[in-house]
Amino acid sequence: MVAPPYQQPSTAPGTTHSEPPPRAPSTVPPPAGSAQPAQPPPAARQYQLGPASAALVAQAHTQAAGGNADLAAATIERALRIEPANPLLWIELGEVHQGAGHYAAADSMAHKALQLAAGDSHAEASAWHLAADSLRARGRNAEASEADARARALGAR
Amino acid sequence: MKLAKLVIAALLLFMGAAVLYVIRLDLLITRQFEGRRWTLPAQVYAAPLELYAGLSMSGADLERELRRLKYRRVDQLTHPGSYRRSGEALEVSLRGARFADEVRPAQLLTIDTEHDAISRLRDATGHEIPLARFEPMLIGSIFPIHGEDRIIVTPAEVPPLLPAALKAVEDRNFDTHHGVDPLAILRALWVDARAGQIEQGGSTLTQQLVKSYFLTPRRTAARKVREAIMAVLLEAHFSKTDLMNAYINEIHLGQDGDRAIHGFGLASEFYFGKPLAELDLAEIATLVAVVRGPSYYDPRRHADRALKRRNLVLKLMSDQGIVSAEDARHAQAQALNVTARASGAYFPAYLDLVRRTLRRDYREQDLTESGLKVFTNLDPRVQSMAERILDRELGKLDRVHKQRGAPLEGAVVVTAPQSGDVIAVVGGRDAGYDGFDRALDARRPIGSLVKPFIYLAALETGRYNAATIIDDAPVSIRLAPNKLWEPENFTHQTYGPVPLVRALAESLNLATVNLGMGVGLDTVAHSLNRFGLAEEPPRNPALLLGALDLTPLDVAQLYTGLANGGFRTTLRAVRAVISSDDKPIKAFPLDVQPVAQPDAVYEVDRMLQQVMERGTGRPARAVLPEGFTVAGKSGTSSDLRDSWFAGFSGSALAVVWIGYDDDRVTGFTGTSGALNIWSHLMASIGGTSWNTPLPESLQEITIDYPTGLKAQAGCSDDLVSVPVPAGTDPVLKPGCPGVAPPAAGTAQSLLDRASKWLHGLTH
Repeated sequence: MVAPPYQQPSTAPGTTHSEPPPRAPSTVPPPAGSAQPAQPPPAARQYQLGPASAALVAQAHTQAAGGNADLAAATIERALRIEPANPLLWIELGEVHQGAGHYAAADSMAHKALQLAAGDSHAEASAWHLAADSLRARGRNAEASEADARARALGAR
Repeated sequence: MKLAKLVIAALLLFMGAAVLYVIRLDLLITRQFEGRRWTLPAQVYAAPLELYAGLSMSGADLERELRRLKYRRVDQLTHPGSYRRSGEALEVSLRGARFADEVRPAQLLTIDTEHDAISRLRDATGHEIPLARFEPMLIGSIFPIHGEDRIIVTPAEVPPLLPAALKAVEDRNFDTHHGVDPLAILRALWVDARAGQIEQGGSTLTQQLVKSYFLTPRRTAARKVREAIMAVLLEAHFSKTDLMNAYINEIHLGQDGDRAIHGFGLASEFYFGKPLAELDLAEIATLVAVVRGPSYYDPRRHADRALKRRNLVLKLMSDQGIVSAEDARHAQAQALNVTARASGAYFPAYLDLVRRTLRRDYREQDLTESGLKVFTNLDPRVQSMAERILDRELGKLDRVHKQRGAPLEGAVVVTAPQSGDVIAVVGGRDAGYDGFDRALDARRPIGSLVKPFIYLAALETGRYNAATIIDDAPVSIRLAPNKLWEPENFTHQTYGPVPLVRALAESLNLATVNLGMGVGLDTVAHSLNRFGLAEEPPRNPALLLGALDLTPLDVAQLYTGLANGGFRTTLRAVRAVISSDDKPIKAFPLDVQPVAQPDAVYEVDRMLQQVMERGTGRPARAVLPEGFTVAGKSGTSSDLRDSWFAGFSGSALAVVWIGYDDDRVTGFTGTSGALNIWSHLMASIGGTSWNTPLPESLQEITIDYPTGLKAQAGCSDDLVSVPVPAGTDPVLKPGCPGVAPPAAGTAQSLLDRASKWLHGLTH
């Protein structure tokens, strides 16, 4: 791996409300019609949970530990409505599903997380681990090993 | 002797019949009364507004949301349902509320704002908390076919002034009579005789209750006798408290189209938009005034009459010592303060979707009688904006192409693509009218809205990318031995070799048909099915130009998959269902399915951005905020009968259809019609830009937009950057240097650095 050319700020919670008059959104892409890429190329970044999401994830962990997977999933969905593009939340949701035995759903969440995590090797590695767990639970051991290998190549979980 | 026997026999017979009759009435009325206690329409709630530090809502925005929930601004916080504003801080006395996942008691919340965003939330003890939420707004209920809608209230939820006022005005001796009040009847006759018209009815509340149970327009003497007997029977069986409570929940208090407003719980929401418990004296008196004639004293349509009668109610209350003369005078001086129409709290098209969702799992009777609580994804803010903008813009468009006959109609569906939440549905121009729901039921040809799925199918074959050059050349396909299909471009011109990105941005028909025939109709159809199209599309070349009838909701399902990076999420109106005793009984969990190659979807989404930058979506730029990245596609059916626009930002997806109900020609393309509504709506919703990270297997290259040849600044005056699979190397535009020139300016150096970094990645 080559050192990233520049550091991207960690993602902040999405801004989902702006009453009229409309305000410009927080994420400002290059001006229209320019020849620049619509967004920077994959650069190293590190996703974090916003405080609201972090609180909800903690609550979900308690709910899941208490055996209430449905409620835990609903709680993480609350966080996803706040930060829909945060791969860490998709991984959390996938882990709840994995724990509840919904392996295919866990796998889908892992792949959704991978799409959003491009550039964040930590998040990508976690998503691959989740995919591996889901594959292994369904007896697809060869694919699971492959997914684990991809996770290892990206760094520690 | 004989005669006497006969008379006695006749009398006995008559008495026997009378006893049987009374027994029958007794059965009827008790059954009705007991049954009504359990008849409770499902109550439907909007999504609660989640509050957290960083949410871009100003103090004014928050106040608007509080007012939507009918919170009152006060100087001193006293009871739930009120708030206080001091500088940049809002202190809110939150009502206790049922959420899909918890019951929250009433509590205090302080919201600090800074630079038009929430900076901090604090609880009653002053401790900072990470998040809080306003209660979900009640948006309606699922009532039976015969149209009676109500919100049941318990005696604890009824302000004590209400029964007192009812007694004062309608039935002074309620506490002591046995169902009928002969004195009241005499008094009423006397008053009416003096006034020469009917001013007072002599019916007790119990009689009125019976009358309401067996609603009938005929007012015969026999019926009155029957009602009186039943009233006496009810009184014999049930307590005054039970009867008063039944009356409060039963009585008819208004009409909203086919929907009959019953009970004070719903009437309070219907006329004042807030819970019964929070009504003040004047408001209670208004509802009591309406009892006498919901249409004659309609406070919206006949404000003068309603106000006069309300003041009479207040006078009677003061005469009988229920309120002080001063309080009554004060209340009499107040305006009626009813909400402008039942709007803002009643969204029939959305409720329609909720009802259809639930009908898959529940019997009609369960929905209309067992008191379910249904938590939905409706965002009242977005819903209201969509209704307002659709009506406003259609009004403008009506003036562009003036036509005789019914005006232009339209429909809107808004979703949150990552979660599949349906956040708004508008079924027509008159959004409050519970009629033909175009969002769910108008199946119309989608025209060019089909195109992204053709391009996606092409990219997924691996034989094409955004820069691949295809031929916009005449098409002639033999459909039958003597039937040729020869479609044309909208402009009736041909454009020759063009890159995929331009063919899609400008919605070129010939290039698209050539591409689609190369990919194969089966592959294209399969692509649509993967994204959620339930039916098998016809294998007809005209499919490639959108000869496919879909509803706006169907289109929203398909495009949600594009907006969500190739993951299909089943659209959800309902989040959860809770039983009347607060047990969770059904959840609709988020479900995502990968249905396409994410890289190919990314390329399509970027091409759909070019639709907005250079193609048929470009006029939206004048309306959307600068730098707000969106992607979308126009659709127009043949002869300009249907005008569509579908597209998305990073956080919202909207589909707009406009046309005439009788399928007349509108004169509008997707761009000149539906796009107006779409762009104003997207600008109002705000939210985040479309900003999916570039997949690692793709790279950015710059090409000459008209020709698709590789180019850089200096050798093309119309450059576009497109993502293509790494290693793609299009033919160089003549006159362009083969090697990138030295970095000039930040943009170029950024690109340069990016490509160096990519280079590093691939090695």
